[in-house]
Amino acid sequence: MIGAEHLTIATPTPRDVVVTRGFDAPRDLVFDALTRPALLQRWLEAPGRSMEVCEIDLKVRGAFHFVWRGPGRKDVGMRGVYLEIVRPERIVHTETWEDWDAGESHVTIVLTEHRGKTTFTHTARFPSQAVRDGVFESGLEQNAKETYDKLAALLAAVMSDEDSGAHQEIAR
Amino acid sequence: MSQPAISKHLKVLERAGLITRGRDAQRRPRRLEARALAEASQWLETYRQLWDGNFRRLDALLGEMRAGETPRGLAQRRSQRGRRRGLPPPEPGDTR
Repeated sequence: MIGAEHLTIATPTPRDVVVTRGFDAPRDLVFDALTRPALLQRWLEAPGRSMEVCEIDLKVRGAFHFVWRGPGRKDVGMRGVYLEIVRPERIVHTETWEDWDAGESHVTIVLTEHRGKTTFTHTARFPSQAVRDGVFESGLEQNAKETYDKLAALLAAVMSDEDSGAHQEIAR
Repeated sequence: MSQPAISKHLKVLERAGLITRGRDAQRRPRRLEARALAEASQWLETYRQLWDGNFRRLDALLGEMRAGETPRGLAQRRSQRGRRRGLPPPEPGDTR
């Protein structure tokens, strides 16, 4: 359980990004705000763009289609299919970007409720580290990707060190 | 933290380009690559701002939803407001 309005972003592996956020509302309302087009369109924006197309067929194997549009900007489109829906606690769906042959990401959203407040956890698993980096590139300065590669390498190194469990490579 | 553990952490940071190692007789002074670190946190900050903006709008929406409105009433109100703004009405499937 995390406090309302508390936001954390973690990159536990080179392919994953985990976003958690607390909300001062019960989870059935948060679930509605995530899955009902008239509600989702009111808050889920892309940089400089509002969501103009929002079609949701909320059932297992049902599809969704979103398009974000903004003045002077290229449309951003996304499609996906729902794999799991457990109202009001869990949604798993695929995600592919239109006009970007990047493959398919998997997103798992978990809502937990404690005393009328909700913790939202959004885990995105990208098809590759390169795709994840590409998603983050928009609006960043030119060196950011290179730096991000370094950060990813750091995380990978830390994890492989932990996996091997030992201190073999210590101090020569 | 033990000396071997410190060495291990330094080696990881060095491999990631976040620190560099010098050479001074028997010493191996490390230098913090502040620019690389600043860019890494800038990337995270940009991403955080994107989510933060969306979540603040969601906070406001949830506040409205909590203020005693039924979801159906809210959707109807949204529909009326949407017409005023010239937005399309909610999709046919958008009822419970």
